[in-house]
This record gives sequence, structure tokens and C-alpha cells, in this order.
Amino acid sequence: MADQGGSQHGIARTSRARTDEQRTLDLERIQKYHLLEEEIRSHVSQHNYTPHVFQLTSKLLKLNPEYYTIWNVRRRLLIYGLFSKPSAGSLPSTASPTSSPTATTTTSSAACSSSLSTATPPAPGPQTAGRSGTTADDNNNTEETHGAAEEGNQQNDLNIIKTELGFTIPLLLESPKCYWIWSYRLWILQQAIDRLPVLVARRIWEEELGLASKMLTKDRRNFHAWGYRRHVVEQLESSQLGGKSMAESEFEYTTRMISQDLSNFSAWHSRSKLIPRLLDERKADDAAREMLLNEEFGLICRAINVGPEDQSLWYYHRSLMLNLVGFVGHPTITPAFSRDDRVTYVVREIEGIKELLEDYDDVKLIYEALIDYTLYLCQLLGRQPDVTEKQAMTEWLAMLKKLDPMRNGRWNDLERDCGLLNGGRRPKVVSIDVGQGQGQGE
Amino acid sequence: MAVESLSDTLWDVVICGTGLSQSLLALSLSRSGKNILHIDPNEYYGGAEAAFSLQEAEKWAASVSTPEAQAPSLFKSASITKPENVEDLSFPRAYSLALAPQLIYARSELLSQLVSSRAYRQVDFLAVGSFFIVKSPSAPSEPRTLVRIPSTREDVFSTSAISVKAKRGLMKFLKFVVDFDNPENSEKWKPHAQNPLFEFLQDQFKMDTELQTYIITLTLSLDGRIETKEGLAIIHRHLSSMGVYGPGFAAIYPKWGGISEIAQVSCRAGAVGGAVYMLGTGIKGTSAADDGMELELTSGDKVKTRMLVRGYEDGTRDAGISRLVAVIGSPLKFLFEAVVEGAPIPGVAIVAFPAGSLTTAAGNASASPVYVFAHSSDTGECPTGQSVLYLTAPATPDSKELLDKALEFFLSSVGETPVPQSLYHVYYEQYAGMTPPASGTDDLAISFPAPSFSLSFDDTTLDPVRGVWKRVMGETAIETDYMAFPDREGAADDDIYD
Repeated sequence: MADQGGSQHGIARTSRARTDEQRTLDLERIQKYHLLEEEIRSHVSQHNYTPHVFQLTSKLLKLNPEYYTIWNVRRRLLIYGLFSKPSAGSLPSTASPTSSPTATTTTSSAACSSSLSTATPPAPGPQTAGRSGTTADDNNNTEETHGAAEEGNQQNDLNIIKTELGFTIPLLLESPKCYWIWSYRLWILQQAIDRLPVLVARRIWEEELGLASKMLTKDRRNFHAWGYRRHVVEQLESSQLGGKSMAESEFEYTTRMISQDLSNFSAWHSRSKLIPRLLDERKADDAAREMLLNEEFGLICRAINVGPEDQSLWYYHRSLMLNLVGFVGHPTITPAFSRDDRVTYVVREIEGIKELLEDYDDVKLIYEALIDYTLYLCQLLGRQPDVTEKQAMTEWLAMLKKLDPMRNGRWNDLERDCGLLNGGRRPKVVSIDVGQGQGQGE
Repeated sequence: MAVESLSDTLWDVVICGTGLSQSLLALSLSRSGKNILHIDPNEYYGGAEAAFSLQEAEKWAASVSTPEAQAPSLFKSASITKPENVEDLSFPRAYSLALAPQLIYARSELLSQLVSSRAYRQVDFLAVGSFFIVKSPSAPSEPRTLVRIPSTREDVFSTSAISVKAKRGLMKFLKFVVDFDNPENSEKWKPHAQNPLFEFLQDQFKMDTELQTYIITLTLSLDGRIETKEGLAIIHRHLSSMGVYGPGFAAIYPKWGGISEIAQVSCRAGAVGGAVYMLGTGIKGTSAADDGMELELTSGDKVKTRMLVRGYEDGTRDAGISRLVAVIGSPLKFLFEAVVEGAPIPGVAIVAFPAGSLTTAAGNASASPVYVFAHSSDTGECPTGQSVLYLTAPATPDSKELLDKALEFFLSSVGETPVPQSLYHVYYEQYAGMTPPASGTDDLAISFPAPSFSLSFDDTTLDPVRGVWKRVMGETAIETDYMAFPDREGAADDDIYD
């Protein structure tokens, strides 16, 4: 049975009715859960950070991944036990921020580390030479043993990181919206940057990008997933992972996503954010910039042509139009355009949108765009709407009142503000920061 | 326990023939505990919807072609051709050529029944991918090209084959069809319900011939003259089936030979439910008996049964199809690409030659479309590296020639050098059954209508099965139990708490 209240982009949540038999089973499960929880809590209160407790947290988190305290216990178990310690005179590695987590928890960690140095951590995967902590404190610090120890530590940490990433996967499949799992995953990924050689860490983050892509294939409009993707891309571009800009490939990714589903606010948004960077990186000259603007207008107009009722498309079109008319103080695609250039483009777009009315006469977003863009045009030209324009706007507003009578208040206000009503009240200035052209070559 | 002989049992029903209708009946009765004897004169399952190895195909073609003065059958004029110098043909059992390569739309009632009866678990399905039109070249020296038919908004957005204005018209139509049953839209088409769909498209949506062809092809209309009401319903089914079982496809196809696989799985379920199966056995004669009928089987057994259900074997000579099944020595990979990210690789692709695009040697243009159903080796119907084409056209004096021409042009339009070779041809004609005499409620012998040769599965085929099921079950029939069964083995629960 689909739950009425919970829909994730049209994918229903399921709820089940319980029989008496199920109720008894549930009570047993609750009992087992409480016992497990008690056990972990008692270990923690006695500062018993042992491999056994680690296994217990695995069990409990599988049952309840939202129990964030237990995720923290697990983090501590890794920092004070399973992860390798940075050695006393250690070579400068990528592991700079490792000290900070320990610093914030020194009060409880003192007791922890004493119990840990006696415990032999079990291998989550095969452990090579270089046990945590003990070897690094050795005083036989020749370069060689140090190098070997370092390498052993990194292999150890890599195994742990891989195991932990793998641990979160089935949990994520079951509870894809649980913030705590994602938070832990991101923490582990950060550990990779801190502890592992650049190339190894990079590989892990590249796989993460693959995961982000997979998620977006399953749920293209999930803005959390888009935000996650941006974070992963940011890390891959950073110097910590020896990266360079991925603007080109990310731009191409938005193209792919859009061609699979035009109605994708996040994809269009990402695209609009990438374009300025892209142009800078390409060192695009004015001609190249104009070409890109043309291509983008072409793309969005082809999309609006088949999906005029789709708001995400109109938002993108508007962002391109604002690029032409509202460029003061904003990054713009074509800074070198003269005022006449801009007027040409705005007029062209208005005429193109009017063509849509031949076949789509009942789509309100078209009429709204026509009115707004006519006002942009007037602002650009520094004048009020002329008689023809007022006539057209009156007709478009009449259509809007017919198609969307619930918003008549708004349409009436707009009508008044544009000076379309008899009585000729001076129209209000439309609130966009329209600059005048630079007049180059004019 | 002593095994009762066939003659000792009073059978509740004897089913003759293992075509789809009879097999679905066996499935529907598989949990009823009734005594069912299911026989088939053929040595194989599937009847008129069977799938054949090459040897079986040859045997079947020979049996169809015997010029015996018997009652007209559903199939005629079957012949097998093997082009010369062909070495790539694999061993006979590597092939499973389907007599009924119908695609099944996701919204089809057949699938709901397969799911609720749990029989779906035994069937592997493949996605049906793109629909293509063969576009005639602008100049005779130019090659023919295949153009993908757009059926979603994103398809229409991406294609470069349609003008900007035409795209708007197409989008308006697609939106109309999705809601064609609402009062406002109904007013638009109901006055034209019985007129050809292509006329409706031209008059009401101002579509040019090319766009009309796209839409008509999506209906898989055999003569291209499908009526508006029926056509709109079929397109609606296509659009609402899109994405139901995964992104990028609207229909599926059973692996190993299409409908024959469904028949086989249904019979298997019947057998598990206790029905007795005998192939190579038919009915020699019938006579009245107490409690029902007495049947004399070709095996010599005489059995008593309350009811007899059989398929209808006689065909009219009027409306029929010509079919050419061609094994091709190339995988034709480009036809089977997944177009949408995350979509499965399709095993079936549809290509259509629009009406009028083919001409015979005598100069007659094709009056109807020719459809090419392309199957990759993923269907299990041929070995890897090869593919199978099923070409269909309405049966006319020209149809065989048109099918041969279509095959030739198709192979040269796929853009491969050297041009792919065909390794094996099966040609035949299939006819509609005559309407069987209506069986009154007192009749103990019931006939199913002959199988449809519609290219997509026609759900109306399912109605007679349900009707017969009700007759067999009599007063114990509970409507909601029809084709609705629990799983046989209990599913084991994984208890992660232990």
C-alpha cells in the first residue's frame, strides 16, 4: 500500500499492516535491539574501544542507521584503533588534519588509547606490516623502516576505508535519504584525502563520482544528489587530489542529463553556473562567447518548443535573457555586446516566442515571458512601451486572466504597472538592473 | 499407488492443442484440483504459436504444404529457402524461430495475469527498443536510411528529422493521446471514430504525410488504415506503457521464441498442478456419453470427459498475412542500442517500410506497410553473431515479392560493408480463423477462436479463456481468484537479527 504522505519524485513509500504474528516477531526484535544497544553503551561508558565493540556497532547500525551517536562511536574506534597513527617524526604526508579530530576529543581519548595499545585490532581486510600505533613509536627510525612503516600504514588505512565505504552501501540502498550515513561516508572519504597518497585517494574519489552519477540516473531531479555531485567534483578539482578543472566534462554531463529529461531544474542550474567558468578557462574571445550564447539560446528554444509548459526551461531562458539585459555587476557571457547587439537578441527572442503561439495558445508561461521580455526591451531602449507594445501586452494579459483566473490580482496589478489601463497612470519601473550598452564599435 | 489408466478417469476437461489460449486455460486451472487431460496432435508445444528449431521448421513447412484436400488450415504456402554458398548456418537446435513474434506492451492484461499467477517467474523478458522508418532516398543513387520514430518528449527534442513547427504539432498530438478519453478530447475524435487514423491526423492535427507515417507505424497497423478509435487506443497504450518496467522502453518480448514460451510455461504450470500431458495425440472421434462426452484419441485410448476444449484450426482465405523469417549472418548491433541512460539493451527493434515505398518488378507500389521485426541473439532465437528478421505484410498476390524486396533493401540500408547475408528463409501465409460456431451454455465442446496475427499482443485474446475457465469451474468459480495464485514454495525470510 502506498503511503499517501510520502512520495519521493513519484516513488511511493510502502507501509504494511501487521498481523498478530508479526506483532510478536516485532516485539522480539525490539528486545534484541535494546540488548544490543545496552551492550554498546556499557562498553563505551567503560571506554572499552575494542574490535568486538566495532562489530557490535556494525550490527546496530544495520538495524538503525539513524542512530548518529553510534556512528560517532564507530569514528572513534577507527581513529583510536583501526586507523594507523601518524609516527613521531613522520614524513610529511597528506595527513595534515588528522590531529584535529583527536584534539577535540582528548578528554576521553586518553583513556581510550591506553586500552587500545594493548588490543590487537582484527583485520577488516588483510593487514600488511605496520600495526597501528605501535610500530610508528619505534625508535629504530631509519629512513627505510620509516618508509616501509608508512607504506604499511597506508595499506592498512586503504583497506579500512574501502571496507567502510562498502559497509555504507547496503545501508544507503535501504535508506537513501539518511543524512547520517552520507555524513559518515563523506568523513571516510575525507580520511582518504588525509591519510592516503594522492593518486590512491584520487581513485577513490573518482569512484565516488561514479556513484553520484548512478544515483542521478535513478533519480535525476534529486537536488541533494546534485549537491553531492558538486562537492565530489570540487574535491577532485582541488590541489589536494592533484586535480584540475572539470568544467568541460561537467558541462557535457548536464547536456546528457537534459537530453534524457528536459524538465530538470538542477541540471539547468548547474549548467548556468558552469558557463562563466567554462568561458574563462577556454579563454574565449568575443566571437567564441557570442557563439556559445547562440548555442545556448538554440538549445533552450528547441526545448521550450517541445515543452512550453515546463517552468525549468523558462527559468533557464530567463537567465540567458538577464545575461543580456541585467549584466551590471553579474558575470556575463557577452560583456562586449553593445546596446544594439543586446536589443537585436531580445527582439529575436520575443519574435521566436511569438511563433510558439501558432500552436500553443493556452500555455500561460508563454504569455508571461512575452510580457516580461517586452518590458526588458523597453528598459534597454530607455523608453516606455509604445502603442503597439501596449496593445500586445493587453491581449496577453487578457489570455492570462482567462487561463489563470486565480491570479487575477497579480494580472491586474501588472496591467496597472505597465500603464495599460485607461487613465494613463505612469507605469512603474520594472525592477531589474538594466545597464546601457558599452557602445563598442557603434 | 496404482496408476489409473486414462480411460478409468472421468476427466473434468480435456484440452486439445497447446496454443496460447489452451495453455493459458491450463494455467488458470492449475490450482483447481480438477482432472485435466491436455493433449496436442503435434510433437511440440505451442500449436500455431510455436517456436521451431530448423529441423522442426522444415517438418512443419512440409506438413503445411501437402496439397491434401482437407479442411482449410490456418497456414498455407510454407517454403524454406537456403541461399547458396552459405556456410555460417549453425546446427539446427541453435535456432528457435517463432511463429508468433508478438510484442507485449507493459500495460497489457496478459502481463498482469502472468504476474498474479506467478508464471512470470519462469519467463525471461527482453526490452523492445526503437521503432524505425525506412526513409526513401531523395535521389535513386542515395542509400536508404533508417530514421528513429520519436515517441517521448525527449525523443522529439533530440531528433533532427522533424522541423521545428512539425515538432510542435507532434507534441500537441502526443499530449492529446495521453488524455484522449477525457470529455473535451473525446468530442474531437468521436465523430471520426471509424475513419482512418491518418485522415484524422491530417485534418485535425495538420500533420504532413511523414508525421502521419510515424504515428501509423507506432500502431503497427497491418494495412496502414487502422481506424481512429482503435489507433488512438493503441498509441495511448504505447505512451502509457513507456517506462513502466524500466526507462526507455514500452514493450517486452519473451526470450526463446515469443508467445511459444508463454504457452510452454503455462503448460508446465498445468503439469505441476496435476494435469496429464500427451503430445503427438489428437482426437479421432467424439460421441455422447453419460456425464459428458466420450473421445477416441489417436493413441487408441477412449476417454470420458465432462467438457472438451479445443482450438479452431480452419482458416478463411480472405484476410491473411505473408511472413518471411530470415536468419541473418550479422548481429546488426546498431539496431539494438539502448538510447536512454540506464535502459537495458533491447533484444527487439521494429523497422517499417511505409505504404508505397516498395515497388514490384511489374511496377506496383506496396499498398500497405511492410514491418520488419528484428531480433538479436539475446532472444535465444539464433546463435551469437547472427540475428533473425520477421517480415510481415498483408497477404496479396504481390506480398511475397514485396517481402523479398524489403529484406534486400533493409540489409543494404543498415550501413554495413559487406552487406549482411541471409542464411535461411522460411516463408508462409497465415490466415484468420473463421468465427467458430457459438457454443451455447449447454455445449460440452467449446472452441477457442484462432490465434490473432496482430503484431502486438491483443488483450481481447484473453477474454474467451476466462469464459471457458468459468464454465469449467461452474459454481465454484470465484472471479477474484482467476489467475491469482500464491507462490508454491514459501519464501524464506532472512532474519538479520540472528
